[in-house]
Amino acid sequence: MKKKKLGLLASLLVVSAMFTGCSFSGSDSKPADSASGQTTSSAGSAKELKLYVENEIKDLDQWKASDDVSFTVLNNVNEGLYRLDLKNEPQPAMAEKVDLTEDKLTYTFTLRDNAKWSDGTPVTAQDFKYAWLREIDPKTGTNGYSFIMTDYIVGAADYAAGGSADKVGIEAKDDKTLVVKLTQPTPYFLRLTSLAPYFPMKEEFVKSKGEGYAIGADSMLYNGPYTLTSVDAASGAVLTKNAGYWDAANVAVDKVDLKVIKEKSTALNAYKAGQLDRVLLASSDVNASKTDPGFGTGINFKTTYLQFNLKADGVSNLNIRKALEFGFDSKLLADQVLNNGSKAATGMIPDEMSGIDGKSFRETQGGLVGVDAAKAKEYWEQGVKELGKAPKITMLVADTSEVKDVATFMQSEYKKNLGIDLVIDTKTSKARGQLMDNSNYQMAITAWGADYDDAMTYLDLWANHTPYRGNYESTNYDKLIADAKKETDEKKRLDMMLAAEKTLLNDDVVVVPIYFGGYSFLLNNKVQNLEYHPYGNPVDFKYADVK
Amino acid sequence: MKRYIGIRIIYLILTLFIISTVTFFLMKALPGTPFDEEKLAQLPQEQKQMIYASYGLDKPVFTQYVNYIKNVAKGDLGTSFFYTGQKVKDIISSRLFPSALIGLQAVLLGLAIGMILGIVAAYRHNTGWDYATMIIAVLGVSIPNFVLAALLQYFVGLKWGLLPVAFWESYPSSILPSIALCVGVIALIARFVRTEMLEVLDQDYVTTAKAKGLGTMRIMFQHVIRNSLISVITILGPIVVNLLTGSLVIENIFGIPGIGSLFVDSIKMNDYSTIMGITIFYSAFYVLVMLVVDLLYGLVDPRIRLASGKG
Repeated sequence: MKKKKLGLLASLLVVSAMFTGCSFSGSDSKPADSASGQTTSSAGSAKELKLYVENEIKDLDQWKASDDVSFTVLNNVNEGLYRLDLKNEPQPAMAEKVDLTEDKLTYTFTLRDNAKWSDGTPVTAQDFKYAWLREIDPKTGTNGYSFIMTDYIVGAADYAAGGSADKVGIEAKDDKTLVVKLTQPTPYFLRLTSLAPYFPMKEEFVKSKGEGYAIGADSMLYNGPYTLTSVDAASGAVLTKNAGYWDAANVAVDKVDLKVIKEKSTALNAYKAGQLDRVLLASSDVNASKTDPGFGTGINFKTTYLQFNLKADGVSNLNIRKALEFGFDSKLLADQVLNNGSKAATGMIPDEMSGIDGKSFRETQGGLVGVDAAKAKEYWEQGVKELGKAPKITMLVADTSEVKDVATFMQSEYKKNLGIDLVIDTKTSKARGQLMDNSNYQMAITAWGADYDDAMTYLDLWANHTPYRGNYESTNYDKLIADAKKETDEKKRLDMMLAAEKTLLNDDVVVVPIYFGGYSFLLNNKVQNLEYHPYGNPVDFKYADVK
Repeated sequence: MKRYIGIRIIYLILTLFIISTVTFFLMKALPGTPFDEEKLAQLPQEQKQMIYASYGLDKPVFTQYVNYIKNVAKGDLGTSFFYTGQKVKDIISSRLFPSALIGLQAVLLGLAIGMILGIVAAYRHNTGWDYATMIIAVLGVSIPNFVLAALLQYFVGLKWGLLPVAFWESYPSSILPSIALCVGVIALIARFVRTEMLEVLDQDYVTTAKAKGLGTMRIMFQHVIRNSLISVITILGPIVVNLLTGSLVIENIFGIPGIGSLFVDSIKMNDYSTIMGITIFYSAFYVLVMLVVDLLYGLVDPRIRLASGKG
């Protein structure tokens, strides 16, 4: 008698488990031809790129996004005043030209006549002003990127601290003229304007969407080489060429299918099945793939380093820090353990980051760190003598597999070269961050990726005296940074930064660079000019072509 | 019956309240914030505070808790910190379908094959059938599903090209993950059914049935299998909940936008509202399944029919 009810209940349960819109995401954009496993990009006239990102597309609101995946999408559907070219040099984009005053403090940008939003309306100087002010205001710009404006633009820091928006040096003179006043000469300012936080946005549109702004493809407005056709945080995005883009004639690829794949082995299988045009390799796959014609390596401007807490026991001693600096062989680490395109760090500033006169910063400075077991041992013994006993050293690391490998390697190196037993303290990234913020650590492995192509993106970090940056307080260092920021002569400015790096690494040993980030990949040989930038926005699809 | 269900639903609400309270305070004890600390470290303290304030994170934890519970009572699970602007309710419902479909297929497939294997093994006790089945069961339990998933992906997907390697694009995308997940279920069910059936076969009423001259098939289906199902139903509850609510590893291997990876990511990222939303959803689902399991007992075994007559 009660069987019917039970049956009903059971079926209700099943239905309730599936109450969602039952759809396979992505299926609307592409008929499934997965079984064939063949790349279709060369056939037919429409050119398609099939790529992936390693994390979810969590956020397309430019004032909230701060991760590489979000910037991968944003950089291709939107555009700032300048855009990086294939050589990572800034080229006029939304701006047609810029006039710079003699004192290098006032930039007057003239916008292109054919700079348009995807709704057909022109991109105006007011759109930039609106978006930038929103980024600076901590109530709306919550990605933590406001420093990339407040450090440079007149009045921006005051506005961020609750001051007036009227005093910020961003002026929309007319629809096509944007005047920006800086507090100090900034040779890389044009590069900054290519970053996502510097993108324009139309106030009217944002207001009309309210809370629903940028949560889906139809709640966004585009002014870049592509528009979003569909986006789902967990499965990926489809980008379609923007016909109204000012430079649409030079955009070759019609469609970019960007999937989310978190497993490296899955991505590799999908690449081999012809479902991806490019794949990043796990260290374990690198050796087997080296003979593949599509094999290549690239670098990121990202330095992984050891941060000392100068107020902590043991490592507050300079000689102990020096011992730890010279006591491990980072070349061995990069080549044997990481084996993914990463390189042994020879300083804090990565290889290839710009210096002046066509020479990189690193070339000018030369190497500042490197293994020297004998010297390290000497420093250690001296340090122990000064302290009266051998300190116990604990290294705080985040629980990602790469960092854990690095930590284990360093543990064995210190054992071999210094005869000490390093304790490795593994925490989640969030917990590691909190311990560092609270000055509750001895030394920690951490990393910093460059926001722009200038050594200041690194050196500036240690002028803020926070526990996260090791409680480093040096009037000498602060002065070098402050002076370099004011200096209009590029040569003098560079000299100050060179001196600052030496102070940081050799004199005071606040940090020990470990390795420069790199990656190995396989690329479909039909794909050309797919430019992955070593800093700032991760990639440009604009220049790519499929033969 | 109605009354029984009514009481169970009151318990359900109480359970959910306790679970969400405990989860809320445990979660707040997690280190860090939902934000990109590396970037925020560059900001002056006051600006950091303003950012926290704009998300209501500056208030005392207890006030945050009261606000949260009030909203949940109104059916509002809030907005995600991580997927900015997205409603937790929407995120959960969009992520649930892939996980639920794969899980459901795995349960059904696992149940069907597992029962057949178990029945055959018990019926042909101590023969080659029995040993073969139990070897399969041991293998099924001992091979981790992600190893199987990787093998399936490599051979079926890549080498033979029979099914999609990964992604969530059309129905065939769901087949390999379902198979990878169902093997464990097969093994578990087969072993349970076999053990239970062997026990039931020894019961007096089976002997009676045989003595009455009933046919083997009739005895098996009418008496033995039905009575062996009770234990299967008991373990089926947790299995269903486990599979329908997603598997992180399988989802990652096959690139499936499921709820399993959502839950783990939300914890890693301190996405408070999503953690809470999924916790509440999981708990509600679990308690409901348990209720259904209790009701199913009565269906299978008249001896434990619930509160009948008295209510």
